[in-house]
Amino acid sequence: MIRNRLPLGTISGHLVLIGLSFLSIGPIYWMFLSSFRPENELYSTNPLPLSLTLENYLFVWRSIPIGTMLLNTFLMAALITIGQLLICILAGYALARWQFPGDRLLFFAFLGTWLIPFQVIMIPNYVLLSRLGWLNTLQGLVVPQLATAFGIILLRQQMKAFPRELFDAAAIDGAGSWRTLWSIVVPNLRAPLAALAILYFIGGWNEYFWPLLVTNKPEQTVVQVGLQMFLTQEGNQWGALMAAAAIASLPIFLLYLVLQRQIIDAFLRSGIK
Amino acid sequence: MAIDTPFRERAPASPRLGVRSRGALLGRLRQLQPYLYLLPALLAVGVWVYWPLIQTVELSFYRWNLLPTRPKVPVGFDNYLQVLTLPEMGIALRNTALYVIGLLPFSVILPLAFAIVTAGIGGPLRGVYRAVIFAPVLMAPVVVAVVWRWILHPTQGLVYHALQQPLGLPTINWFRDSMLSLPVIVFITGWGLLGFSFLIFTAGLTNIPREYVEAARIDGASSWQVARYITVPLLTPTISFMVMMTVLLGAQWVFPLINVLTQGGPQDATTNVYYILWQFGFRSFNVGWSSAAAVLFFAGFGVLAFLAVRLIDRFSIYDT
Repeated sequence: MIRNRLPLGTISGHLVLIGLSFLSIGPIYWMFLSSFRPENELYSTNPLPLSLTLENYLFVWRSIPIGTMLLNTFLMAALITIGQLLICILAGYALARWQFPGDRLLFFAFLGTWLIPFQVIMIPNYVLLSRLGWLNTLQGLVVPQLATAFGIILLRQQMKAFPRELFDAAAIDGAGSWRTLWSIVVPNLRAPLAALAILYFIGGWNEYFWPLLVTNKPEQTVVQVGLQMFLTQEGNQWGALMAAAAIASLPIFLLYLVLQRQIIDAFLRSGIK
Repeated sequence: MAIDTPFRERAPASPRLGVRSRGALLGRLRQLQPYLYLLPALLAVGVWVYWPLIQTVELSFYRWNLLPTRPKVPVGFDNYLQVLTLPEMGIALRNTALYVIGLLPFSVILPLAFAIVTAGIGGPLRGVYRAVIFAPVLMAPVVVAVVWRWILHPTQGLVYHALQQPLGLPTINWFRDSMLSLPVIVFITGWGLLGFSFLIFTAGLTNIPREYVEAARIDGASSWQVARYITVPLLTPTISFMVMMTVLLGAQWVFPLINVLTQGGPQDATTNVYYILWQFGFRSFNVGWSSAAAVLFFAGFGVLAFLAVRLIDRFSIYDT
């Protein structure tokens, strides 16, 4: 670690960080604050919450099926998380444990999905989904989002670091590869698996484009798309809009309050390979 | 057990053909083992990524409007010729470059500078700063767009009431002004991005052995010299990583904000390459154009990614 030993260094450092913190948290604070403000105080620049009301939240509750949307979002995010984790565990294990014809090619095939932007393949995906009759369904929201590279590569990396002897010992004990995976490998990968789960859940909760494409009914869509619909309907109902935005981000912020350190670690893990 | 390679097991060898014993069958199953584990991932990636990619190429040679009841009319290279001569293409390409250039300060320069300036901060406050600065990263793009639309509203927003009005500045329609809308989208995207990059650079800094810096200090190096000759060079892998992410993903990061805030306008001032695909496909239902443009952009970004990886290998300085 580098320690800046100039006396001014730490003071200016704090000043910079305080400024940056204000810029980062300010708009989020303003969102929550506006969402609780009564109509007649909405345009006030006072940063303090003087009189608060739940009126905006009630308005949102009455205008759109926000409860259903939240449930849909939760189900989608949870199922994507579970599905992705399962797929990544199995694939990462295969790539980490064995050498087999085509293993390098397959590895690069997963890696290569990174280079294919969603917009390049969205039309065929949409067509396939509508042929399957999956538009406006939960499986339509979830299944296409199970294709993943990042988790496979991360877990493969982690599993490769496993001591070889562990596999051998398990084999000598008569454990097949399946039992070895679930009784030895997975329990030892709790930290990276938790990190992945957090990333997938946040990603799933914040997902917007795929639901926008494949759902068009308020009862079947997710809260991010609901927010966009609300914006189109009630473009200048700022208090209500901020309430809807707050509702759409609240679960992630609560998660962040509880798991702050783990979430930051998960993002760090995603950045540095 | 099969023969061990230094790193991984070899999948068991194939039994001789024609041998129909229980053992042979088991051996054959064993050999299939890795593929069985890979099957779900392969299915997912095959069905939802690679097969669609092939279909995009195929669709780029047809005229079609996305209606299942309408036939696909083969048109050869017509879509490509059309798309290449559209003036929007040039604008979209130029804007994409502007977005990437505009995002680099937020993804590389500013977070790197902030991370270096604040590297000396210790104590409990350090964690608080980290947590607070990181918070915007967790916001969904739609939420970010809606909140900033409120803050930047020309006559009702916080910026107008707190800054423009007291200073007697005129009202500004941030998202409808063709000179301002693109920079504003860059700024908002950058706002959501900065915390992530800041964290990545902070982590990179903590990995630099402090002996280097202390040795330089003893030699009388100033803070600036330490940053210029030690910290920044040793951070080149992280810097390259962030530059590459920005170049390859910048156009995707701004995409939801374009869709929510400006729909590419005013007069294509904020459109970009991916937004054009979206409009062709799901606004004008011109599948052929969208697919042809997708193939062109995909090839272009592929080349760019290849060059970026080569450049990174060349310019990164690794510490060990």
